[in-house]
Amino acid sequence: MRSLRVWIKKEGRAKYISHLDMNRCFMRAVRRANLNLWYTEGFNPHPYLNFLTPLSLGQESEAEPLDIKVEGDMTDGEIQKRLSAVMPEGITITGVREPVCPASDIAAAEYDVLLEFSDDESASRFAGESRRIVASGVLTAEKQGKKGGRKTVKEVNVCDGILSFEASADGKEVHIKATLAAGNTSSLNSSLLLSALEAKTELSPEYVNIRRLRLLKADGTDFR
Amino acid sequence: MLSKKLEKILNTVQKPGRYTGGELNSVIKNRESVKIRYAFCFPDTYEIGMSHIGMKILYSLVNARSDTWCERVFAPWVDMEERMREAGLPLYALESGDAIAGFDIIGFTLQYELSYTNMLNMLDLAGLPVRSRDRKSLTPLVIAGGPCVCNAEPVCEFVDLFLPGEGEEVTNELIDLLIGYKEKGAGKSEFLRAAAEIEGVYVPSLYDVSYNGDGTVASVTPRGGAPEKVKKRVVRDLDKMFFPESFVVPSIEIVHDRTTAEIFRGCIRGCRFCQAGFIYRPIREKSPEVIDRQCRSICATSGYDEISLSSLSSSDYTRMEELLSLLIPWTDREKTNIALPSLRADNFKKELMDRLTGIRRSSLTFAPEAGTQRLRDAINKNLTEDEILSTARQAFAGGWTSVKLYFMIGLPTETDEDVLGIAGLAQKVVDEFYNNPDKPKGKSVNVSVSVASFVPKPFTPFQWEPQDSIEELLKKQELVRSSVKTRKISLSFHKTNTSRLEAVLARGDRRLADVIETAWRGGCRFDGWDDMFRFDIWEQAFSECSLSMDFYANRRRSFDETLPWEHTDYGIGRSFLERENKKARENAATPNCREKCAGCGANSLNGGECHALFKGLD
Repeated sequence: MRSLRVWIKKEGRAKYISHLDMNRCFMRAVRRANLNLWYTEGFNPHPYLNFLTPLSLGQESEAEPLDIKVEGDMTDGEIQKRLSAVMPEGITITGVREPVCPASDIAAAEYDVLLEFSDDESASRFAGESRRIVASGVLTAEKQGKKGGRKTVKEVNVCDGILSFEASADGKEVHIKATLAAGNTSSLNSSLLLSALEAKTELSPEYVNIRRLRLLKADGTDFR
Repeated sequence: MLSKKLEKILNTVQKPGRYTGGELNSVIKNRESVKIRYAFCFPDTYEIGMSHIGMKILYSLVNARSDTWCERVFAPWVDMEERMREAGLPLYALESGDAIAGFDIIGFTLQYELSYTNMLNMLDLAGLPVRSRDRKSLTPLVIAGGPCVCNAEPVCEFVDLFLPGEGEEVTNELIDLLIGYKEKGAGKSEFLRAAAEIEGVYVPSLYDVSYNGDGTVASVTPRGGAPEKVKKRVVRDLDKMFFPESFVVPSIEIVHDRTTAEIFRGCIRGCRFCQAGFIYRPIREKSPEVIDRQCRSICATSGYDEISLSSLSSSDYTRMEELLSLLIPWTDREKTNIALPSLRADNFKKELMDRLTGIRRSSLTFAPEAGTQRLRDAINKNLTEDEILSTARQAFAGGWTSVKLYFMIGLPTETDEDVLGIAGLAQKVVDEFYNNPDKPKGKSVNVSVSVASFVPKPFTPFQWEPQDSIEELLKKQELVRSSVKTRKISLSFHKTNTSRLEAVLARGDRRLADVIETAWRGGCRFDGWDDMFRFDIWEQAFSECSLSMDFYANRRRSFDETLPWEHTDYGIGRSFLERENKKARENAATPNCREKCAGCGANSLNGGECHALFKGLD
């Protein structure tokens, strides 16, 4: 048995597949691909699949890591070829490699966000005000969580999770490039940041597309 | 690629994956290179429609033609509907994203009466008039199939033509005909007259219905060469019947997320309340080799890890042992489960269950339907108390601790004693658990009893019977409730209003079109969903249209009456149904078709052939 990290690009219609459904999709995909997978040894054996960084519904990603465990001596290239052949529209396998970093190394994620407003003025105001708000270092938002099965709401300062932030307006559009905390210790969901900015600026875009570009380690190098 | 207009909406609705398409194995064609665009519409949510095997078969069958592109359409949930109407986004097909108003065929499958308002709503969302007569051009042609079409009368104002029976063959014949008429620029009425000549096509506008003073049907007169009786189509040989090599694999979780393999059509049992038991006759079995081959192909192309062997009564399949011996070696190896729904309590074999090692031990379900032997005989549920209890005993010995029992109230000839018998039988099942020396230690038993209300349906021996009034049904529910003395039995009841509307629509006539349209305009949709059902709007619609629900639901029909659906021929003879109805009054059971042919007449649809007379391996 050996561990492999599958790198997945998720875009277009596939961004509406939720994290739980992605699990189910891949459970079936690995069966279609006829890989020799390692199965868990419980009462109900199933292949080992672990998405390291669940992606929010509606977001795209350039590179999602999925850890799997396989048996036998099929080459990584063959596994990539077989998986690629059985994917639904919008999901591409960009690489299959031995994991280099442990999952706990994930510290940040880089995002590309496109917002479209109803008019140029709203766009440029949103870009300007967001830059100022982020630079001020204070932006509170309510973060919903769960504790012991109960829903909880706690107030957080989203700026604590922003490592870098650029926003520029271009006509009705606003482009944001941001690096946000990710991983198990602390993480900031890009949707939470956006909704906090919308609430603060009282400006709402008509269309949003969030794309995760890459995952980073604490030292700023690529998570691999 | 999704349009930006759609994407703006998708971010604001629940489960946007319902509306995106792009699933594995969905079929994309070049819209310029096909002659016919076919929108296959399921008038319920994506999760329900995608679970339906008939849709999977017909989708692949139509797409096997290079001249036609079949796409899927489901009823948008109310949040999506609202956003679509706000944004002016018309109903579109999932594969292309194109508005279905521009398609050639819009085909609905009518699986249950409570989806009728959804059909109207989908036509409206498409931007089309809901009434057939208001859609003047040849295309889009609105067609419908599915079990409800055995009495299409309540919805025949909305649909241009119906396909009673099995669609595997007639669909292609209809498409061929439409291509010809479209090419020569023919009009809609000309086409419909020609379509009516295809066996298994019912064009309601070619039939004039007149009524007696009391509201019953006086006569049904065909025009323009349409047949006196429209015979449902059947597929003669299931082994040679088209079957897809792959299913569209949904990216989001659906209700039945697994491979489904049909093992036979029809049912040998003849339970007198059960419409499915009659309208899918005659019995036709599929060979184990064919089922095995199809399962392998679907599993390989879908990646599903569960196969459901489907039929109306799986343990009546004569070649089950043979089938399992083909399936088990490779499904074991690939860790694929085999599920066998619809087992009967009388021939549930322990050996059979032991072979299905992968089966999940969640719960076992049995359907005694009635609480006393007398009533079980009257409804021809040929199942004895001993059989039920011995099956429960086996199940408990095998480690199950939870059993579900399905009953009905309001059955013809029912007395209070029968109603009290429900709790009595459930209690005996509980006792069986505690009498079992091998019962799992330290565990309690849970017997969940689900009580539905009887709905009389066309083409059953009870098609003439009145449904109990709401008051009677509620009284009987109370009687069941008060007779349960233990917490080991948990009770649930179907909503009586829902059953009442189902009864009205199931045996309705053409006059109900106004009621259905009024109810839909009043806001009714997703009537089958308890949280969406608005019985008050339906009542209001009946009163606005000066029609009475009692007339349809609670009236006993005499054998002399012309029933609204009798110009459709499902092979089941009227004399057989009358005979069975009389036997019910005498509490006399009829042997199952394998023991003795009861002469229902359905074999006439199949050149005299019925596989019920196969001698099985048992």
